[in-house]
Amino acid sequence: MLSYIEQKVAPKREERIGACIEFGGFGDDLKKKFGQGCFRNNDRGFCQGSICQLLPGMSMVTSIPDTVVIIHGSIGCGGAGNSQGANVRGRQIAAGQSNPRGVLWLSTNLNEKDVIIGGEDKLEDAILTADKRYRPAAIIVVSTCVPGIIGDDLDGVVDRVQPRVSASVLPVHCEGFKTKIMATAYDAVYHAIARKLLVGKKTESDVVIDEVEDYREKARLKRTVNLFNVSSMTPQDEKELTRLLNALGLEVRIFPCFAHPEDMIYSTQAALSISTCPTHDDYFVKHLQEKYGVPYILKHMPIGINNTNLWLRDIAAFFHLEDAAERIIERETRELELALAPIKQNLKGKKAMLSAGEVRTLATALWLREFGLELVAVRPYHYDEFGETALTKIVEGGDVTVNVATVHPFESVNIIERTQPDIYLGHNSDNVWAAKSGVATLPIYGGANAYVGYTGAFDIVRRINMVLKNKAFNTNLSKHVRQPYNNKWYNTEPFTYIRQEE
Amino acid sequence: MKDKFIERPRGFCALGGALHTLVALPGVVPIMHTSMGCGGSIYWNQIGSTGFLGAGYCGGMAVPSSNVQEKDIIFGGTDRLTEQVKNTVKIVDGQLYFVITGCMTDIIGDDIQAVIKDFQDQGISIIGTETGGFKGDGYKGYDLVLQALVKEYVTKKQRKSKGKVNLWGIVPAQDAFWRGNINIIRELLTSLGLQVNAFFTEHDSLSELENAGDAELNIVVSEFYGIEAAKTFAEVHDVPYLATAFPIGPTATNEFLQKVAQKLSLDSAQVNAVIEQGEALYYRYVERIADSYNDLNLQRYAVVVGDGNYAPALTRFLADDLGWLPALTVVTQNFFDEQQEMINQYLTRLSSGYQTQVVFETDASEVQYHLNRIWPRYQGQNYYDPFSPAFVVGSHHERELAQNIGAAHLTVTYPVGNRVVLNRGYAGYTGSLSLIEDLFSVLVASR
Repeated sequence: MLSYIEQKVAPKREERIGACIEFGGFGDDLKKKFGQGCFRNNDRGFCQGSICQLLPGMSMVTSIPDTVVIIHGSIGCGGAGNSQGANVRGRQIAAGQSNPRGVLWLSTNLNEKDVIIGGEDKLEDAILTADKRYRPAAIIVVSTCVPGIIGDDLDGVVDRVQPRVSASVLPVHCEGFKTKIMATAYDAVYHAIARKLLVGKKTESDVVIDEVEDYREKARLKRTVNLFNVSSMTPQDEKELTRLLNALGLEVRIFPCFAHPEDMIYSTQAALSISTCPTHDDYFVKHLQEKYGVPYILKHMPIGINNTNLWLRDIAAFFHLEDAAERIIERETRELELALAPIKQNLKGKKAMLSAGEVRTLATALWLREFGLELVAVRPYHYDEFGETALTKIVEGGDVTVNVATVHPFESVNIIERTQPDIYLGHNSDNVWAAKSGVATLPIYGGANAYVGYTGAFDIVRRINMVLKNKAFNTNLSKHVRQPYNNKWYNTEPFTYIRQEE
Repeated sequence: MKDKFIERPRGFCALGGALHTLVALPGVVPIMHTSMGCGGSIYWNQIGSTGFLGAGYCGGMAVPSSNVQEKDIIFGGTDRLTEQVKNTVKIVDGQLYFVITGCMTDIIGDDIQAVIKDFQDQGISIIGTETGGFKGDGYKGYDLVLQALVKEYVTKKQRKSKGKVNLWGIVPAQDAFWRGNINIIRELLTSLGLQVNAFFTEHDSLSELENAGDAELNIVVSEFYGIEAAKTFAEVHDVPYLATAFPIGPTATNEFLQKVAQKLSLDSAQVNAVIEQGEALYYRYVERIADSYNDLNLQRYAVVVGDGNYAPALTRFLADDLGWLPALTVVTQNFFDEQQEMINQYLTRLSSGYQTQVVFETDASEVQYHLNRIWPRYQGQNYYDPFSPAFVVGSHHERELAQNIGAAHLTVTYPVGNRVVLNRGYAGYTGSLSLIEDLFSVLVASR
């Protein structure tokens, strides 16, 4: 990790951990082939517009308060800011802002002339003006495909301008064409935070030390943990995990989304880093351990009762709080089981299909199976070693169809035709294609809902139960609108266009 | 025109505008020859900016896309495009396939026309054009796609059909109310006895586009968008065009109808009848809001923020029909000097005689600065004439400004992220009634 952080650009996930986005088959086969390193050269002969690393990168950086984001590229590249604005605005209102601005981002608007002569001057002007006009704590400069190919030196511009501005300027490399794995974005953003916001500034210390306060502070830090949100956790999710960790007597700080740039440095002072999703956070928690000696836990995503129990037990074991954890688990699950009983009756044997980020998809699938639903297919947006814990459990509980794809609804609807799920849990922008096939859907993250912990376990199945009470909207929709594929496609094997290395 | 960064750009890139134009055309399947994220980027933009305009038949995350990778950028992407087109035709139903490109494939210079030619030779209905994002904004993308269609898809016809017109200038997705607006203008022109090709509505089909070459006139309800396509149409098919301001409200709509009638030498009695009918309908409804307009004093100062179609059209409606005081008109596009002059000219001859201040400003946070500049600021005097009561008609970005100055606010122009738009339109006589409903509903919402 240390050697990675010293580089200007974080490595792409294909190279760092062999991640892939093309697979169709059974889970066991995916596990085996991944273990043999088979996926490096997989691809598709038919593709659909997808998600590059810029988009999750945008979601992360635009969430950071007191920050201006500069998208260095053509005018369209930051457009995701328009939908991200709603998410950010909600947080600003929750934080007490009476007139929230939403996402503040600039585009360097690279045009035909800039493609020829380079866009560095325009970027420099944007950084200087942003600092003067908005007075932010940080300016995050995100590079896209065009500067990546015309050879703009993003880091050079940032180094040149930094002494002339009061904001910390962070270069983030998100050139879409450089990696197929959108999850590389998490590394790219963490990389910039690690290089610019954790170093160089000392936290303030008092001249005269109050020994009692000092002792208290040290005792408090021994019980302070880092929790991570890369923007897909809702406020309700944060609240639930904080509640559980507080119950163990731990104090919680959440990074990097919605954390102030000047507060990022506190992540170096915690007793433990706790990941809620291994594929999000490994790059950063490993860095915090290597450089600042903060140990980490990176294994389970706390979705569903079993996974939340395991997640909590791992944390408790670290702090030698096993008994307390068992008491919490006992208390939570007792009440939860009672509340779940009537819903369980309704959902027993219902067929579920899931499609979203790797670990969330697999962990949510495990919860639904644990609850008595039947899994017909899971579609993680990518697959890497961090999915293995959850995938192993899925395989052991009875293998299912696994389709690794970053959206690609043509494969999705083909599987739907074959398996006729009752409920589809999909990522934002993914659900509509199941809806057009007449399947009831539930968003797999986001909104004003809880997905993690015990509250989330309840909320997910409560809302599936709710959705299934009236499916008229999607049923009617499927009768009156059509998918763009011809009938022949549905009689073709869904993974026909995936080229897999054997 | 300033060549600088843009704060929160109000629209798509050329590729995004091209994609939305194609998705809006019935029977057309777009094929993007771009990096993998372009599709998602455009979609994640539209779900927050276009009145919740969804993916449609084959847009959003379903749009066929070559998703070129680093190796394609190094070795060229035409093989990937060839394979993508071959397989798209195999599984996606369409009457016309249309290849559009992104920044990367334009920069590396992939010869898409050679690929397209091979498929055309196999009898496949396919065309394409270069639409890399750095070529311009979404309006440019609209124009580029239309130009290609006009050149390569519209059949050449020697004889023109009298009374047949094509309608352009309202840009899908950039205008959240595009469907409603096109339908309203289409109906207005139909009421003049014209046969109207509007291309994008539920009344239209792709064959109308194919057969648009015998039109008598191309009517562009914009002085800025679709103009290049209209020029191309004139060159290739020898059909003249009329470019005229986007009309909202009776005053502008009357003028619009008269211009069309004049250009086509229509019977003036018929045109006058249509105008009379339109005005009668408008005032039949307005009569019933007149009580409250006067009892509640619903006149307002206004700030208008929008693109080259909306900013002048809204300003004119507010000033000339509604009797409001649009003191500041902010045009959010990076226009050339001569284009700026056209808007200035248009807004200096308002029939009400009211004079607005026009500024050209791309950055939302700078609108407040312009308002401070044109309106005398409070300096502690006991009797101060404030910019109040006021209304801000703009995008959802202008909520912040409205709250700062204590004004009401309605989102009409891009980005429209806080309203759902289906068949609503603001053009013409009927559209302006909807606009009055929406404006005044904000003012009475707390009652």
